Amino acid sequence: MATIINCSNLVFSYNETSVLRGINLSIVPGKMLGILGANGAGKSTLLKILCGVLKPKSGEALFKDKELSKMDRREIAKGIAYIPQDPMFAFPFTVNEVVLMGRAPYIGSFEFEREKDREIAKRAMETVGIIHLKDRLISEVSAGERQLASIARGLVQEPEIMILDEPATYLDVKHRTEIMNILRELKEERGLSIIAATHDIFSSLFYFDEIMILKDGSILAEGKSDEVINSEILSSAYGIQVTVKKENGRVFVFPNQ
Amino acid sequence: MKQIEFGLFNMSTNRKFLISTVLLFVLWIIVALIAIFTGTYSIGPFEAFEAFSNSDELSKTIFFKIRIPRVLMATIAGGTLAITGAALQALFRNPLASPFTLGISGGASLGALLALKSGLAVGFLGFSMVSISAFIFSLLTMLFVYSVSKVRGGVVATGRLLLAGVVANFLYSAVIMFIQFFSTFTESLQTMRWVMGSLDIVGFDTVWKTLIFVIPGCLILLSLTKDMNLFGLGDDVALSLGVNVKRMEKKIYFATSLAAGAVISVTGPIGFVGLIIPHILRMVLGVDNRIILPCSFLLGATFLTAADTVSRTIISPVEIPVGIITASIGGIFFLWLLIKTKKEIIV
Repeated sequence: MATIINCSNLVFSYNETSVLRGINLSIVPGKMLGILGANGAGKSTLLKILCGVLKPKSGEALFKDKELSKMDRREIAKGIAYIPQDPMFAFPFTVNEVVLMGRAPYIGSFEFEREKDREIAKRAMETVGIIHLKDRLISEVSAGERQLASIARGLVQEPEIMILDEPATYLDVKHRTEIMNILRELKEERGLSIIAATHDIFSSLFYFDEIMILKDGSILAEGKSDEVINSEILSSAYGIQVTVKKENGRVFVFPNQ
Repeated sequence: MKQIEFGLFNMSTNRKFLISTVLLFVLWIIVALIAIFTGTYSIGPFEAFEAFSNSDELSKTIFFKIRIPRVLMATIAGGTLAITGAALQALFRNPLASPFTLGISGGASLGALLALKSGLAVGFLGFSMVSISAFIFSLLTMLFVYSVSKVRGGVVATGRLLLAGVVANFLYSAVIMFIQFFSTFTESLQTMRWVMGSLDIVGFDTVWKTLIFVIPGCLILLSLTKDMNLFGLGDDVALSLGVNVKRMEKKIYFATSLAAGAVISVTGPIGFVGLIIPHILRMVLGVDNRIILPCSFLLGATFLTAADTVSRTIISPVEIPVGIITASIGGIFFLWLLIKTKKEIIV
């Protein structure tokens, strides 16, 4: 099957600090890839390279066989949606306006959204269940609702892949589950590919098709969740002794101390 | 920021744009008409027509050489200060940015004054050297304030921003006052403009020379309004949505320095227009820059035309500098804003 994103030997550094040391990654349509790793392991940097926000120092990042750094930004925006960890909202736009901003790559400089764009935005808000918040200010809704608005904004870009940086970190269990369920639905019903960085070991077991664990900018392990989620790998990834217990198809993870 | 609930608020963007720009344009026409027929020397519409057809030289001179150019200058100056204020607020992602608070008006005033003092008040390829000098000083001031106030992760620290602007303004006004101190009495009166701001011009010449800078500056800003909206979601999201963030930032620097520098080189620092106008509009119309920028121009133009008419007539025949009117209205507004946003602004 054709790959959506295909990277080989990605290297990145901020000034002298090496952040990524040769990452290979590829994803096909309709798959969900989870990226785990301790803070500072290079997850966010990797995601930013995958959506064209950062350029790798060396190595290749391809979107549908085209080099990302050579593509037009608006073209990338029509294929890849990026949802950051802690989205900034410098001005109090309404939820509807924020979602409509996802249509930006389809609209010219002196243009406004057309009826069709508003329809697409409305459907996206229905999909993630925030249509009732349409006219509320983004600054007045909860963190979970803001995250859902960001996901809806990503959806109206009509992308082939959505890249999310810790989409559920700041959220409670209910919102976290809700967001992961929505992502899974999008994957299954629309064949959307999803790459998400996460600290949530539990949800990564249930939702992701593949898991990649980063440590100090290199791939520590990758594969199906039951292959990589074990005491040895997690202890190494997070630098703390953990025990992983599997009982009747359920998995328990807890630190030894 | 709380919005005033208004019928306009939740309308679709294109209808909101159309209705608000048309309404504000009509408002500007009304105020401008009142302004040209008001003043110490009373000229009504009928007299103006008479003056034009007959040869009442005094009325003709006052009306066409002073009154109309002055109203046009107030329009250009007010509009430019307000639209550049709105653009700077988008660029700094901070509602307290404006040509005045960032020290740009101080910089442009000093730039203009230095060009005048060093005998550079000559044309250069049809452009006034005074405006060019003001433009350069504006640009340098902005880059200074930006580099000082931008902290880690591209976030602008409000405290540093305002502090840098205040310090820049004080330094510039120290130099301006130093120059004034060594001036003769008449020269000193002329340079008062660079301290208080004034719209006192004669003839259309100044109007055209300012427009050469203002029109391209404002057009560049208007072409960036959509990108400014996306920029409000953070650098990374703006990039991922197709905005060339670095280029957009450079264009805003250039365009605001160009337009605001040219205006301030003629009028001197007229405070607070760039701060109040976008704020009032956001409270009524929401925060979409595609609406806020053009509407800021129109309302800024209307506001300064009205303020200037007041300054010309309130203790007629004595004329008080318009900067005093805008600064007192603006100062009170600024204080109110500071009190109201007490909990939101993290220094």
